[in-house]
Amino acid sequence: MKFDRRTLLKGILGGAVVTVGLPPLEFFMNSHGTAYAEGASGFPQRFGLFFWGNGMSPSRWVPEDEGAGWTLSEQLLPLANLQDDITLVSGMRVHVPNIEPHHATACGILTGRPLILDNNGHTFPGPTIDQVIASHIGNETLYRSLEFGAEPGSGMSHNGPWSLNPPEKSPIALFERLFGPSFQLPGEDAVVDPSLGVRRSVLDAVMGELKKVQGAVGSADKIRLEQHLEGIRSLEKRLAKLEEDPPNLEACAYPNQPEAEYPDIEGRPQLKEKNEAMCDVIALALACDQTRVFSNVLTKPLTNILFTDAPAGHHNLTHDEPEPQPEVNNIVIQCIEALAYQLEALRAIEEGDGNLLEHSLVLATSDVSNGKLHSADEFPIILAGTAGGKLKKGIHLRTVANENASKVLFSICRAFGMNLADFGEEEGLVTESLSAIEV
Amino acid sequence: MKLCPELLCAAALVLLSLGCDKSIVPSDDAFVAGPAPEITAPAPVLAKLTQEQYRNTIAELFGATVVVPGGLEPDTESDGLYAVGSTLASVSPLGAERYSDAAYSIAQQVVADPELRSKVTTCEPKDGEISGCLEEVASKTGATIWRRPLEADEVASLAALGADAVKALGEFDDGLETILAALLQSPNFLYRVTQGEVVDGARRYTSWEVASKLSYFLWNTMPDAELFAAAGANELVEDEELAAQVDRMLADPKARQGVRNFFAEWLDLFKLDDLKKDPNIFKHYAPELGAMAREETLRVAEHLVFDQDADMRDFMTTRTTFASRRLAAIYNVPATATEGFGELNLPGDGPRLGFLGHVSFLAANAHAVSSSPTQRGLFIREKLLCHGVPAPPANVNTAIPEPSDQSKSLKERLMVHMEDPSCSPCHAMMDPLGFGLENFDGVGRYRILDNGVPIDPSGDIDGAEFGGPAELAEDIANHPDYAACIVRKLYSYGNGHHVEKGEGELIDWLIASFEGRGRRLLGLFRDIALSDGFRTLGEVQE
Repeated sequence: MKFDRRTLLKGILGGAVVTVGLPPLEFFMNSHGTAYAEGASGFPQRFGLFFWGNGMSPSRWVPEDEGAGWTLSEQLLPLANLQDDITLVSGMRVHVPNIEPHHATACGILTGRPLILDNNGHTFPGPTIDQVIASHIGNETLYRSLEFGAEPGSGMSHNGPWSLNPPEKSPIALFERLFGPSFQLPGEDAVVDPSLGVRRSVLDAVMGELKKVQGAVGSADKIRLEQHLEGIRSLEKRLAKLEEDPPNLEACAYPNQPEAEYPDIEGRPQLKEKNEAMCDVIALALACDQTRVFSNVLTKPLTNILFTDAPAGHHNLTHDEPEPQPEVNNIVIQCIEALAYQLEALRAIEEGDGNLLEHSLVLATSDVSNGKLHSADEFPIILAGTAGGKLKKGIHLRTVANENASKVLFSICRAFGMNLADFGEEEGLVTESLSAIEV
Repeated sequence: MKLCPELLCAAALVLLSLGCDKSIVPSDDAFVAGPAPEITAPAPVLAKLTQEQYRNTIAELFGATVVVPGGLEPDTESDGLYAVGSTLASVSPLGAERYSDAAYSIAQQVVADPELRSKVTTCEPKDGEISGCLEEVASKTGATIWRRPLEADEVASLAALGADAVKALGEFDDGLETILAALLQSPNFLYRVTQGEVVDGARRYTSWEVASKLSYFLWNTMPDAELFAAAGANELVEDEELAAQVDRMLADPKARQGVRNFFAEWLDLFKLDDLKKDPNIFKHYAPELGAMAREETLRVAEHLVFDQDADMRDFMTTRTTFASRRLAAIYNVPATATEGFGELNLPGDGPRLGFLGHVSFLAANAHAVSSSPTQRGLFIREKLLCHGVPAPPANVNTAIPEPSDQSKSLKERLMVHMEDPSCSPCHAMMDPLGFGLENFDGVGRYRILDNGVPIDPSGDIDGAEFGGPAELAEDIANHPDYAACIVRKLYSYGNGHHVEKGEGELIDWLIASFEGRGRRLLGLFRDIALSDGFRTLGEVQE
């Protein structure tokens, strides 16, 4: 296994090196003789991020009781059918400085590091958790990771500073990308397209040119070009895989084709419908092992989108609606319903004796806890699935007050077999994971 | 009238330019600012083509009929400018995939169309001998697509790719298509690579580098044949030849495309594509309203800059606009065109004038169901005056009261911002400006009542009083930071980086020249393009 050069470069830029230690032995072995991150079941582990904007209402979110068999709170009721598959973590705080409301805490919960902020804008200092995991388990699949989201916007998945992975916002485009003409079902007869080889030679030439340009530019631009190279490399690898037989996975099938368009209704985007269509596509993309990492940004930080039936934009309402904020509450519930759909779509796919959700870990979170206050404490954190038996499920864990939220990210890395000494930076740095959720 | 911003924000970041002592220089064409100061600009930036630049460049290369696939890598902004963000952002894996797919799509379209094919192919294979012709295509077409002559090994490598394709796929045109696709997904096409050259101990951009930098600055697209010829003759490092090219280019119709793009980036007009309003509240809203509103503002800008060579203060105060029927309905004036946009003059004594009266400003800086004095004020501060406004602090109660008998209007409800000491320092910079525009609702319709309360649009901006929106527009037009802000924005836009230490003296000179010559935008483009800030560079930073 080679060092991930991109991660190293990002680490250098961020001022601290992300150490990627040697993985446990099991990562080296599988029946195909390729590195293969597996849970106990023998099925690959997958990671997903589910993100919605503007947080929740702690008083309607945090359950009254702890442990197994906890009682669902009002805003978590949509997860009733999934309670045995999730772990709710409450009481944590995102410790990075809250210098730019919404963005600083979004950065903190996804990277464990402080936001980079200057007079001209802000960006994330390092990779978000989905990319940290993708750097570890994303190298064997057609796509290292897939980003999508129902609200048009900038997405949350970052590789490093000024390096965003823009999400696909159109369900039909996501479908075409993953299940278009180049897709092949296991066992399907297919003629290898002779132009693939030519395309790969072109990519080789492009990589040569990128390296030549790297020699002519400053250090910051070298890192940018390294990211571009990474994209070309993964594209080339994908073309090479298209010349091979697809993985023989029983659950792999074509998803339903989404609608061509989802026009706004009364000025309100069809968030629910778009989310459901994309969740259906992504579940089968995972089942076909086209990718093992996804991020779903239902709505973005600070979103002011008009939800169905809402009398004003979401962000507006969080600040302007008087307590007890019934409209905000309705919107949070809609967001958690969208999460429930995503999780049920994963659970519906059987893999061996288990299902896709069990073999996955989905982190669901937001940019703030209480949107009205931009608060960083009592942060919303839901973990669904077990990453193939590596994390507990079915419990509500209430941590000590204001426990550092980076510990959850550390636990996630551990669940995927990453052997890290610590996670995060500055106030976000932790040297211990949240062992209470680990198996 | 003295315009002097107080120290407005308690938690103040920097007010980028305070300008209290600056007296307004009267407009005078005879004004001479003296020679521009000599500076060395910062290290070069690696600019990637923005989406607009990509599309414009493809149209320039192959004609407007070629369809550029959607979904290209989104642009990144820095302080609102894509021109700066494009020097910071990396290409994502999805972006690399899309550039590659687009390259093939464009190459296929070009090769399949005999007319387009003849543009890129000046030869045909003779007696089955293909390599000579493939080399010619790589060399000639490559130099246009990469905006510089190709080195011999680059030509050989491209021709070899073409030959491999012919071998694998059978047809000469497969080779052509492959060469085109390779050229179009190369970093030499997607980025503008600049290193400069050292002459007499000073580093300057080469003629070829100036050609590209200049054409994307003035035209937002690639150089034309004449500019390439000037670069080939190494003329663009000479003052007079460069000035002649700048003047030629500013007189070319493509300068309109360049100026429009500057306004669109400066004023956030690309974001209007996502404009959403509650149609139950705003009957004039339609999904296409945002794009329509952008076009209005761009047409006004184009008209003032090119048809009038106007003072940029007029952009704030003109009563001339170009409106579609829907926009005219919002402005409550008769439309002058049944289709598209018609020129019209807004009532001379009315409250609506200039950019602050445009739907593109009023609706974009408002909520989906109401106006937003705070957002409008913030836009005026940041975009029009280059004043920094800090982000709101965390853990404060940001709720404003619901409408009540005591406070019914939005202005009355927002008064909590003025009373709460954790809000007032910053909101005092923003809200009062927005109150001056409360006569315009969330989509930009004129009104005199907000929730039954008569609107009082009077206030003051940095000491200058206004009785309503029209006077507010005049005050902003005459605010010394307005002209200075345009200079800073255009300078950053042209150079792909924010103003840095060491450039202050040049910026001051540019401001003096801009103000002294009647704030004409084309003059400012010219001043910047001819300045050391545009033509010199520091060493590459390792």
